[in-house]
Amino acid sequence: MPTFEGYERSDGPAGVRNYVAVLPVSIAASAIADEIADRAGEQVRSTPHQMGRDPPAAARAQIERTLTGVGCNPNVGAALVVAFGTERIDADEIADGIADAGRPVETLSVRESGGTTAAVEAGVDAAGELWDEIGDHRRVECDVSELRFGVECGGSDATSGIAANPAVGVACDRLVEDGGTATFSETPEFIGAEHILAERCVDESVRERLLERVDRREAAAELMGVDLRGAQPTPGNQEGGLTTIEEKSLGAITKGGTTPVRGIVDYAAELPVGGGLVLMDTPGYDVESVVGKVAGGAQIVAFTTGRGSTTGNPIAPVIKVTGNPKTADRLANNMDVDASTVLDGESLDVVGDRIYERLRSVASGERTAAERRRLEEFAINELQPNELAELRGEV
Amino acid sequence: MSAPDTSLSGDASDPLSVPLEAYARDDGVGVRNRVLVVPSVICSHIVAQRIADAVDRAVCAPHDHGCAQIGADHEQTERTLLNVTRNPNVAGATVVGLGCEHLQSGPFAERIADHDVPVREAAIQDVGGSDACIEVGTEATRELATAAAADRTEASLADLTVGVVGSDLAASTREVADPLVGETVDALRSAGARVAVAGTERLAPHAEAAADRAVTDAVAERMRAAAERTADGPGNVRGLVRQAADLPFDEVVGAWGDATVEEFVPYGGRMTVDEGLAVVDTPSRFEEAATALSAAGASVVVHVTAEGIPSGHPIVPVLKVTGDGETAAILPDDVDVDARSTTPDGLLDELRRVADGEQTATERHGLTKFAINRVGPSM
Amino acid sequence: MKGEVLGGCGLHMAAEDNVVTAIDDLAAGTTIPYGDERIELDADVPFGHKVALVAFDPGDAVVKYGEVIGQATEAIDPGEWVHTHNAESRRGRGDVAAEEEVA
Repeated sequence: MPTFEGYERSDGPAGVRNYVAVLPVSIAASAIADEIADRAGEQVRSTPHQMGRDPPAAARAQIERTLTGVGCNPNVGAALVVAFGTERIDADEIADGIADAGRPVETLSVRESGGTTAAVEAGVDAAGELWDEIGDHRRVECDVSELRFGVECGGSDATSGIAANPAVGVACDRLVEDGGTATFSETPEFIGAEHILAERCVDESVRERLLERVDRREAAAELMGVDLRGAQPTPGNQEGGLTTIEEKSLGAITKGGTTPVRGIVDYAAELPVGGGLVLMDTPGYDVESVVGKVAGGAQIVAFTTGRGSTTGNPIAPVIKVTGNPKTADRLANNMDVDASTVLDGESLDVVGDRIYERLRSVASGERTAAERRRLEEFAINELQPNELAELRGEV
Repeated sequence: MSAPDTSLSGDASDPLSVPLEAYARDDGVGVRNRVLVVPSVICSHIVAQRIADAVDRAVCAPHDHGCAQIGADHEQTERTLLNVTRNPNVAGATVVGLGCEHLQSGPFAERIADHDVPVREAAIQDVGGSDACIEVGTEATRELATAAAADRTEASLADLTVGVVGSDLAASTREVADPLVGETVDALRSAGARVAVAGTERLAPHAEAAADRAVTDAVAERMRAAAERTADGPGNVRGLVRQAADLPFDEVVGAWGDATVEEFVPYGGRMTVDEGLAVVDTPSRFEEAATALSAAGASVVVHVTAEGIPSGHPIVPVLKVTGDGETAAILPDDVDVDARSTTPDGLLDELRRVADGEQTATERHGLTKFAINRVGPSM
Repeated sequence: MKGEVLGGCGLHMAAEDNVVTAIDDLAAGTTIPYGDERIELDADVPFGHKVALVAFDPGDAVVKYGEVIGQATEAIDPGEWVHTHNAESRRGRGDVAAEEEVA
């Protein structure tokens, strides 16, 4: 059975990294969380965002689920939850959720600390103490079935659907075969291809849920009264040869491989361990989408790109795979795997196996290009008024 | 925090007439001299931040947007980013793009140049990766920073546009801080300064009363429309809307002073009238409101906050004003003005000193946040 | 990769496809064998972009991956570049929905 070297956790599967996460509860605490992480050292990672202090209930639930989920990600050894002090979102509740997963966790209130400067100092101290608790943890041999592998595509072009995505799909198939979980999302990028996924759903209820989610995303464009084009496909997608959302989607879904679709979960909802191929309902917006999967427990992400997206994530290593030979060359410093050899005739299976091997070595500690440069973008999907109205059944 | 001031208008120490050293721009004066490194999309914000960190006088406006937005939502992000580069505190701008996003950095930089803002541009995918982009962007930003050396000019508070945002309707805000700001706003307007105020939630339950303050029918109509739209929306706004509904209109807009409303500025849009008070169509959430006020042309922002929200803003110095005694006591380094013990002249004096270069609390700790209001879902 | 490369330059991903994808920058005059025909490009087509294998009337479905990816918005000749200037999505058309509402 294939293995990797991971950090065992008392609760749940092993992590591929061992970080202290600094989680701001709202935008008011976000810059402070960043400053704490900047000063406290490389193993301390912040998750900055722009969520408000008093969001509407459904939006708040999603934010709480995302923050808690990130704090419980197996790559997080300990967490510091930072609140300004007047938010509706309760830092203690988030902390309790993380403690339930067996991680050491502290909370910090800016108001109670005596302001920005004092909170930063207290936060750096707290982060240091938390690191002391987990810093001695060592990697041990773990089964790949403990991995939840998130797959994303961004800055797509025509090569994405021809080379990079199908190659990553092979790696997903391998991991599923070896007992792990593979997950992809970006629901607007199912539009035009959802019937293919629907046919692979394991049962009617999964199929219905999937189709309903796709409908909802398509309806969002109708609500805005404009052609989805511009956002989907983007100017970069179009320059790269993708003409329509259908064309983009048909290429996009290949990144999940060919195994049955076992389920579709909400944004930032927990992904099963050893669950096979499970989808997540997220926007196509890459940074929010990757964060959703990481909050769901994905320890490691492969991100295919034709045009050359350079983004990463603070908590999970992101492996960049490109099927575009020009991008593999020009943006070599930001890419990890060159899948453009497929276009020259190299077999998808061979390239896919190469990606699967990279998955294992990155899981075992090898740093990706984005990690080496500390390119780690983070954003939480905020439910907008029309989405909230729909959830309440008003639309 | 400021000490009480007892001087009266008219004598030599009147803060409205004491000169301050400002920076001359084509269309007004600024109180800071910054090169703005602006990412066109979230994916380039770390590169943009690294560029700004490498150059003195440069600041970054990182945000979470530019991707997966359509229609009015996309337009609002673009309009906002364009107009913040035109802020009087900004001497020049470097646009940093990724390359595949909806808001393409090249054409966007050209649109900025059309407004006579010195601008440079670099896209990660065009120049060959993040490392190369940091190099190219840093060099370009250094050029802008060097060219931005001071074109100083003597000015007074009357030459400025002052932004005002109150992020709550707590008792201390309504009874102490807003009235102080309102009187100060009146004095600024009499002297000829422009004032831009934020906070559409206050209008929502008072559409007619708000419209009555407008100087023209067109402005009245826009305020009414914004009030109705906000009344319908759920959420973050609703808490304030609910509170505002239980209060008389005059009490929720105490910070406006006696002003009539000369203009209603869309989020991310620019104030065009030459004097008086404009209302900016933005929620009261500080970070989003400060961005809207800076896009409108405010060179300094007064933030009334009972809780003491400490965030600064990359483009404008922010004066934190609180009427809440507990907040003033527990957050002394994050509050600039204790409204309980400050007069309008005192606040004007503080404003003048900040405009003249004195650092605010937010500038001392240097932690800023730049957010743009969303009006549509991520795609 | 999936499909067959025609003429060494156009990837035909499924038998039902009526377009191929250029796997190189293709110059005008390049010919692509398709069944008994030889399709000739009337203009340059960039790497990754599509070339029509058949004639399209406006509204005709464009097929790639064996699936409908959109439709022609004008008449297209075999060998012509197919992209946003002469093809559109059928899905995600909030603009169409908005027009229909007004009508």
